[in-house]
Formats: sequence, structure tokens, C-alpha cells
Amino acid sequence: MYESLFNATTLPVLQQVVSFTQARHQLLASNIANLDVPGYRARDLPVSEFQRQLAEAIRQRNETPAFRSPGEPETYATSRGLEPVELEDLPEMILYHDDGTKGLEYQVSEMLKNQMQHNLAVSLMTHQFNLLRAAINERT
Amino acid sequence: MWSSLDVSTSALTAQRIRLHAITSNLANISTTHNEQGEPTPYQPRFVIFQTAEEIGPPGAPGVRVASVEVDEKEPLWKYQPGHPDAVRSGPMTGYVAYPNINMMTEMTDALEAARAYEANLGAIEITKDLLHQTLRIIA
Repeated sequence: MYESLFNATTLPVLQQVVSFTQARHQLLASNIANLDVPGYRARDLPVSEFQRQLAEAIRQRNETPAFRSPGEPETYATSRGLEPVELEDLPEMILYHDDGTKGLEYQVSEMLKNQMQHNLAVSLMTHQFNLLRAAINERT
Repeated sequence: MWSSLDVSTSALTAQRIRLHAITSNLANISTTHNEQGEPTPYQPRFVIFQTAEEIGPPGAPGVRVASVEVDEKEPLWKYQPGHPDAVRSGPMTGYVAYPNINMMTEMTDALEAARAYEANLGAIEITKDLLHQTLRIIA
């Protein structure tokens, strides 16, 4: 019962977005922490690949009507199998000769984008829950 | 809108690399030995900026440092006969070659780089604000 209640909305999608941005935030933070390590190669999760997989999953869900036996959870196969990739070319590399990828500004600005994406998904989630609560309580 | 963040970020990095070059010039304003310990005066460095079409939206490119160049200008000669690096023979006997770095120019450049950095930080703040306002509509 709860599956159909929660999965009918965009909550599963938002959940994937939040878990992706959280995982990415950890990676970006570790990049900043290792900024002064000689030869450190910065890593990042591929955002466009995640967006592509998510769009694909949404398309599949909309195409196939949910002929599922009761209690069988809906599967949402995204953000799994996404491996961190090493960043190739950052502008600050011109200053160093240790083949490491550095760039404080780049990391911070990616962190900002990631944080805004995370906050957006969380507030949309809150909004969804408020709607559900309003429906359950029959008042706002 | 997100890509204007990338544009500002590229400028931040570029200006910081420029500041690196300037501080290096100021630090080596009286350096008479090179890395190998040979008596060669330090030559000032400067950076070349280049528009980077791959950063940012089409028509509003970012910036990147194309290269760090070494300024091959004539050193400043100071008469110091007792100095170990003084020229031993010829018309410049007793003179020591010092880097030809103008402290005033370097400080002005440093100030300019710092102001440009701040300007780009301001642009980032504005972009961030705009994004926040937009996202407030839906959530």
C-alpha cells in the first residue's frame, strides 16, 4: 500500500537525485582535502551520465504500466554502477608538474552547483510530503 | 544559468595563476642565482590569457591561461665589485646583474588581479542569488 502511495509521485526520482548529490559531495570534499597532495588525481561522478540514466529510468517507468503483484517494490535502477572518474584537464595544472589535477575554484563551484541541486530535490520532497499529509489529514 | 558559474570560475582560476606569477616576481626581485645555482639573474614571469570557447555557453566564453612566459629583458646592473656574482672581465667588470623587476608595476598588477578576482566573486554571488530566486518559485 505504501509503495503505491509513495511511488506514484516523483519521490523515487528525487530520492535518487539526493543520494547522487550526497555521494558526489563526498567526492568533491575529498578532492579539496587532497588539494596539496603531490600527484593527486581529482575524481568526480559523471553528472551527465547520471542524468541520462535517470531520464532513461523515468521513460521506462512511464512506458510500461505497473503490472506488478502487490507488495513487489518498483525498481529504479539508477545511481548504481556509477563509478567515479578521474578529471582530465583542470586549468591550474599549468602551475604544477606532478601530473596531479588541482583547482580549488573548480571544486568549490561544482560543490555549489551540487548543493543547490541537493537543496532543490530536498525541498521538492518536503513539498510532496506536505501534499500527502494534507491529503491524509483532509486539511492543509 | 549554471554555465555562467563556470565562466566566473574559470576567471577566478586564471586571475589566481596571474597572482602566482606576480608574487613570484616580487619574491625574486633580487635573486641572482637560478635553480642550478648558476649566477643568472631571475627573469620575470607573466601569463597569457586566452578565451576558452569550451567553457560556458556559446557566445560567452570563459578564460584560461594559455601559457606562462618568461620576460627576457636586460637585467639591471649594479656596481658591487666585492659580490661573488660580479662580472670578472670586460666593460662590465665589477657589476652584478639583478632582475629587471619594477616593484610599482608588479604591485599594481597584483592589485588589478585581486580586484578582478573580487569582481568575479561578485558575479558568482549574483548568479547564485538569481538561481536561488528561480528555485524559490517551485519549492
